[in-house]
Amino acid sequence: MSDQEREWHEAERELKKPGERPDPSLKITRRTFLHKSLVAGAVSGAATYGWFPLINTLTMAYGAEAPFSFAWISDTHLYPKNVNTRFVEKATRAVKEVQAMKPPADFLIFGGDLAQLGDPVELRLGNDILKEITIKKHFIPGEHDWYLDMGKTWVSLFGNSPWTFEHKGVTFIGIDTVSRAPDYWSATKMSPKERMGHMAVLDGSVAGPWAGVGSDQLQWLSKTLSPIAKNRPIVIFSHNPLYEYYPPWNFWVRDWRQVHEILKPYQNVTNIHGHTHQVLYNEIGTMRSIGMLATSWPWPYAPQGVPVLTKPMIRVNPGDIFDGVGWGKMTVKPPKVEHEYMMWRPAVYAEAEVDSGTGDNDNQRLSPRVADQMWPYK
Amino acid sequence: MRKMLRSPGLLLTAAAFLLVFTSRLDHVEAHKEKHTPEQLKAFLEVFMEQVRIGDLLFHGDADTEKQLGLTLSKTGMACAMCHPFASDTHPHEFPKFQEQMQEFATLRDMINWCIENPNEGERIDVNSPAMKALEAYTYYSNKGSVLDAGKH
Repeated sequence: MSDQEREWHEAERELKKPGERPDPSLKITRRTFLHKSLVAGAVSGAATYGWFPLINTLTMAYGAEAPFSFAWISDTHLYPKNVNTRFVEKATRAVKEVQAMKPPADFLIFGGDLAQLGDPVELRLGNDILKEITIKKHFIPGEHDWYLDMGKTWVSLFGNSPWTFEHKGVTFIGIDTVSRAPDYWSATKMSPKERMGHMAVLDGSVAGPWAGVGSDQLQWLSKTLSPIAKNRPIVIFSHNPLYEYYPPWNFWVRDWRQVHEILKPYQNVTNIHGHTHQVLYNEIGTMRSIGMLATSWPWPYAPQGVPVLTKPMIRVNPGDIFDGVGWGKMTVKPPKVEHEYMMWRPAVYAEAEVDSGTGDNDNQRLSPRVADQMWPYK
Repeated sequence: MRKMLRSPGLLLTAAAFLLVFTSRLDHVEAHKEKHTPEQLKAFLEVFMEQVRIGDLLFHGDADTEKQLGLTLSKTGMACAMCHPFASDTHPHEFPKFQEQMQEFATLRDMINWCIENPNEGERIDVNSPAMKALEAYTYYSNKGSVLDAGKH
């Protein structure tokens, strides 16, 4: 048995114990709505069709004091405008749509990876684009925002993490899962640009298992949660998923076991995360976890570890820059929350394996890259 | 043939040649000599050097592109941004009808399609060293996949 397989088995044992689930009274359904204008035949043609997304909703029972909604945007991966206008176009589109929400969302969460290479030019561009949203905004960083100047520009523009606030009977928490990477740069005297370059490659091996909550934040999380009633709705935002999905791409946090220990007594926890750029749903112990879309581009599903509870997204047309991407909307209607993937193309979920991006890959075997382990790496 | 039949000498020579030739067929091997470990190492090194170059190109390494005189992307996008570990490149499924191109395509055709469309770069010669390197990296990353030519 390989090390990776041992990890999977351990994760299964730890996280999928018999009978341990999010609040057993909760039920999950998935529904697909056709936009009214589409049903009525008011629009036709693919280009126009894209402006009226079919809304796919994950519905779950929930407790909150009053109805409200909030929006999520993440993974815009902005380059300077003169390098890539597509990502700017898509980030701007998401921002306009959030601002146009009726009734307005109570707040926006930006879930990290605003920039591609942590360049202050990229981060300021993102800040300018996000300024169009006038509702309250909360930020958590992604690794692409951090490792050029070790978060200096990010913190000056968007403030520190972790944070928490109460809103209409729900506890919201934002944690930073990116800034506590083991030092991979000092020993080889990497320049800030080289450090960022390695961090910016999803399948690179030099930055290693960089995603983690860290002992200081774990303590903070434990202390923050301790006075909270065990059945209170808690939503935790993070850039990386708080469970082990696929470590080689940091689709995890390395200290997920400790996170799980802290969250275990709470019966109504939802983790909403970015980084994976794909439709994901999982239940881990008593916590449910939802992976959000990027506005920039979709990642393929990892070759192993896709949660069995995930209904995979439809495989994406690489020739269509608006396919497989979008933003997210959570509408809290006590006792339920509707989560909508605001994807800009008609279909979100795959209906057949051949179209799924997971089931169609049963003939695929993958090996890690080699160039970044060969000396001298260029 | 008539001349040969009329000449016993020629016939005998031909028969002797056929006998020798067919007896050797029983021992035909891919290589006449056993490979030495050094040879195998050298062959592998040639391959892995192409994998390494392909890996760097696939991950948007600007120096390697410059050395080879290429512009694989004008959008900042690199192949690996949609294909970490070269996943979803499916080299084992080519050649096949490729929907984006609406034609029967090879892996090399598909590589050029990605360079020209998502990356907005400049296509490369299908037989160029850069194309061979990209192909080497893509196959290496997918080694062990099930050969499944034509699968959509």
